[in-house]
Amino acid sequence: MTEYWPWWMGALGLGGISILYLLLVGRLLGVSGSWAKVVNWKENQAIDKSKQELVQDKDAMGSAFMAETLAEFGEGAIDEFKGEVDDANINQTVSASLDAPTPWTVHLVFLLSILVGSLLTAIYTGQFEFRLDLSNVHSQIFGTTWEVWVALLTGGMMVGFGTQMAGGCTSGHGLSGCARLIPVSILATVVFMVSAIFQSMLMEVMR
Amino acid sequence: MKKIRINQYLAYGVIGILFGIVLTRIGFANYDELHKMFILTDLRMLYTFAGGVVLSMLMFFVLTKKIPAQHKIFQPGTIPGSMLFGFGWAICGACPSLVFVQLGQGAFGAVLTMIGMFFGVWTYRKTHGRYFGWDTGTCGV
Repeated sequence: MTEYWPWWMGALGLGGISILYLLLVGRLLGVSGSWAKVVNWKENQAIDKSKQELVQDKDAMGSAFMAETLAEFGEGAIDEFKGEVDDANINQTVSASLDAPTPWTVHLVFLLSILVGSLLTAIYTGQFEFRLDLSNVHSQIFGTTWEVWVALLTGGMMVGFGTQMAGGCTSGHGLSGCARLIPVSILATVVFMVSAIFQSMLMEVMR
Repeated sequence: MKKIRINQYLAYGVIGILFGIVLTRIGFANYDELHKMFILTDLRMLYTFAGGVVLSMLMFFVLTKKIPAQHKIFQPGTIPGSMLFGFGWAICGACPSLVFVQLGQGAFGAVLTMIGMFFGVWTYRKTHGRYFGWDTGTCGV
């Protein structure tokens, strides 16, 4: 049995990862966001495509709006409007909102490399142990392998649904959000930690 | 364009591998350790997590200018979603990144968790548009 890192070393590791992610990628770490990208890639692709069509049609749409405005308000309104807004500003806003985000395959690579990293470490430290259930304590709580599997499937669905509903998970709300002192993230972190503690206590009592 | 793509894959891949190493060495994916944390008999990993948050906080203060505008808002799903996540985490011992670490350590049962998560994320996307329709502000968009 290999010793795990002491808390301060783990803290350095976790903090280092979240900072490295910000520096290399320019975003904040959020694994449930990556999950959403990977799972919903097909739907997102369809949305992107319709957005692109809208961009190509920008001129057509613009002239339609212009004709409508002229008919409604006359030339005077246009001159008045031109004084207030400059074109560069508008173009910037449009391109920013259509800035193509990271492709979903990159997120898939990210998730799979977590698996690779842990596999290599587990082999290196001798922690690797092939088993069909999760752990001894988990099996004590849930019983036979079949019951364990049902629990894992149910738990996984709860986690998948819950993280999407809450808008973040341990990394997004917990690590990145709390570090930025975003009130919602702190609330979410407290709620999921307390729920998990409550549930675990309950399972410990019934064990 | 092509070069940017490859760099992106490399960056995410390197961080992912490091993340896997760190999570494995902390022991977050070991259900026995996690359970000990959740029944509050061993607070090592709780301190680890809190320490990671504090460290990130300090560095984020230094790097304020680099942080992109984020869209995290309170919405009707925040509390029920977090509760569901908390209960689920206690049951399957995995948050969305830990499931890969569990699998990497040889716990094959994590495949079931993974299928469950996939289904959960997919179901949420399907039901959200139809029944809820509020802004969730999911991270990393």
